[in-house]
Amino acid sequence: MKEVLIRPIVDGSVEGPALVSPIPISFFGGINPKTGEIIDSENPLYGQSIADKIFVFPKGKGSTVGSYIIYGLRVNGVAPLAFIANIAETIVIAGAILAEIPLVDQPEEDVISFIKTDDYIKLNTQKRIISKKE
Amino acid sequence: MYLTKNQERLLAGEKGNAIAKMMKLIVKIGEVNNADKLIQIRSAQIAGVSYHTVGDAIFSFFELLSSDKVMVKVPSWLNPAGMDRLRWKEMGIKTAFAEKQFEILKHYEEMGIDTTLTCTPYLIGLIPSFGDHLAWSESSAVSMANSFFGARTNREGGPSSLASAITGFTANYGMHKEENRIPETFVKIKAETNTLSDFSALGYWYGEMLGDSIPFFSSLRSFSIDEAKMLSSAIAASGSVPLFHVETKTPEAKKVKITEIENKIIYTEEDKEKVYEHFNQIKDYADLVAIGCPHTSLVDLQLISEYTQNAKVKENIEVWIFTSKLISQDEKASRLIHELEEKGIKIFTDTCMVVSPAVSDKFKNILTNSAKAAFYLTRDGTINVNLLSLSEIMGSVVQ
Repeated sequence: MKEVLIRPIVDGSVEGPALVSPIPISFFGGINPKTGEIIDSENPLYGQSIADKIFVFPKGKGSTVGSYIIYGLRVNGVAPLAFIANIAETIVIAGAILAEIPLVDQPEEDVISFIKTDDYIKLNTQKRIISKKE
Repeated sequence: MYLTKNQERLLAGEKGNAIAKMMKLIVKIGEVNNADKLIQIRSAQIAGVSYHTVGDAIFSFFELLSSDKVMVKVPSWLNPAGMDRLRWKEMGIKTAFAEKQFEILKHYEEMGIDTTLTCTPYLIGLIPSFGDHLAWSESSAVSMANSFFGARTNREGGPSSLASAITGFTANYGMHKEENRIPETFVKIKAETNTLSDFSALGYWYGEMLGDSIPFFSSLRSFSIDEAKMLSSAIAASGSVPLFHVETKTPEAKKVKITEIENKIIYTEEDKEKVYEHFNQIKDYADLVAIGCPHTSLVDLQLISEYTQNAKVKENIEVWIFTSKLISQDEKASRLIHELEEKGIKIFTDTCMVVSPAVSDKFKNILTNSAKAAFYLTRDGTINVNLLSLSEIMGSVVQ
C-alpha cells in the first residue's frame, strides 16, 4: 500500500478505480454532463466515462461554466467518486462543492506519474492521504 | 480563515442549503488562496448568460437556487446574452435557442439580478468607486474596474460571482489586497497609439507575452475611457492579469515607485505591427464587419457615424455593431443609431460577436477593430479576421 499526503478541499472518504487524464481538463466542452463521457478529442481518454471513477488530472482549464458541468454530472447520476488534481483551480473547486464530490490537491508526488488508470485508490480526507493498492 | 458568527450560521445552513453551498464555495476558494477573512462587496457582475456558452448544464444549477428562493444581496447585473432580445430572428437565431436564452434570463431575473446584458456596466452608470470591493467576472470589466477606476476585484468566474452576489461576500485575497497590486513590469511605449485598435494591439501584445505580470505603462499620450476599454479587453483576453497601471492616468499610478520595478521592456512600432500582421488573415473578401467588443459607447457610435458620412454599406457585406440596451436608448445614441440603420448598418443590443452563435455560424471572414474579438473568433480555426482601425474598416465597406 502506497500512501501520499494531500490537501483536502472537499471532504469525503471513498475508494474505487482511477481514471487518469495525463493532460489538463476543460469540463466545459471536454465532458458530456449527461453521460460523464470525455468528449475532448485531444484527450487520450476520449470516449471513456468518468462516472463512478476516481478522476485524476493535473489541473483544470477553460471556461468557468465548467463548474456547472460538474454539478450537472451529479444531477444526471454520472458523477465521479472523487477528484484528485495536482492543482485544483476555481472551476473545479466551485464544481466539486456544488456537486458534493470529494476533491483533494497538492499531493506530495505528481499524481499523473504515480497513479495509473484502473489502479485501486482510497481517499481519506480526514487523514489527508490517498493510498494505492499495490 | 476568520468567519463572523453570521457567516458561520449561513455556512451551517441556517438560511437553507443553496445559500450554505454558495457560502462554502466562497470560503473554500478563500482557503485555497490563503484569504484571512471574507469581505463585503458593493456589486457583482455575472458571466454565464449566453445559452451558447452555458448550455443546458446551468438549468440544474438554477433548480438548486430556486428551490430555496434565493435572492441577491448586492446590486448585480449580467454579461451579454447569446442574442438581441428583440431582433434575434434577424440575427439568424433559431427559436429553440431563443426559448432557452429567455429561460436563462428569467432565472437570473427571479434572483433579483438586473438583465443589463453588457460587458461595459461602467458605460451605463454602474461605475465603481475607488477602493470598492467587487465580484465581477467579465474579464475586460474586471480589468477596467481595477485599472481605470481603482476598484478591487479578482477575475471571478460565473459561479463565484453569482455566489458573491447571493451572499454579499468575497474572500479577501488577490486584487483585494494592496500588496498584490504593485506593478511588476515597466513598459516604455515607443509606438504611436492613435486609434482605438492601437490600444487593443498594445493590450494583446502585452497579455500574450507577459500575461500574468502587472504592467506599468509609461509614455502613453492619451488614455480616454474608450481607449482604456480597448486596452483592458485585449490584455485580459491574451493574458490573465486583472490590473495595469498607466503613468499619470490611472488612480493608483502615482503611488508606484518606478525605480523599484525590476523588469523593464519597450513597446515598439515593430511590436505593434506584429499584432496587426498576426490578425491579417483574410484571403478573399470579408463578409462581416463586427464592432463592439467591448460594447460600443456613445463616442464609438459618433465615430462610426463620422466615418460613414453620406455613404451606404456596400453589397455582399454586413456591418454589425454591438452595444448595450441602455446606450441604445440614450437620446443622442438613438438618433445616431437610426441614421446608421438607414445606411444599412445593423445595431444589435444585449449580445456580441464573442458570445452569440449567430456570428460564428454565418460568417467566415470578419473585419474588427478589437484584438479581443479577433482572439476569440479565430480560436477554433474556422474564421479568419483582419484587425484594422475603425476608420479603415468603415471607409472600406461603404460607398
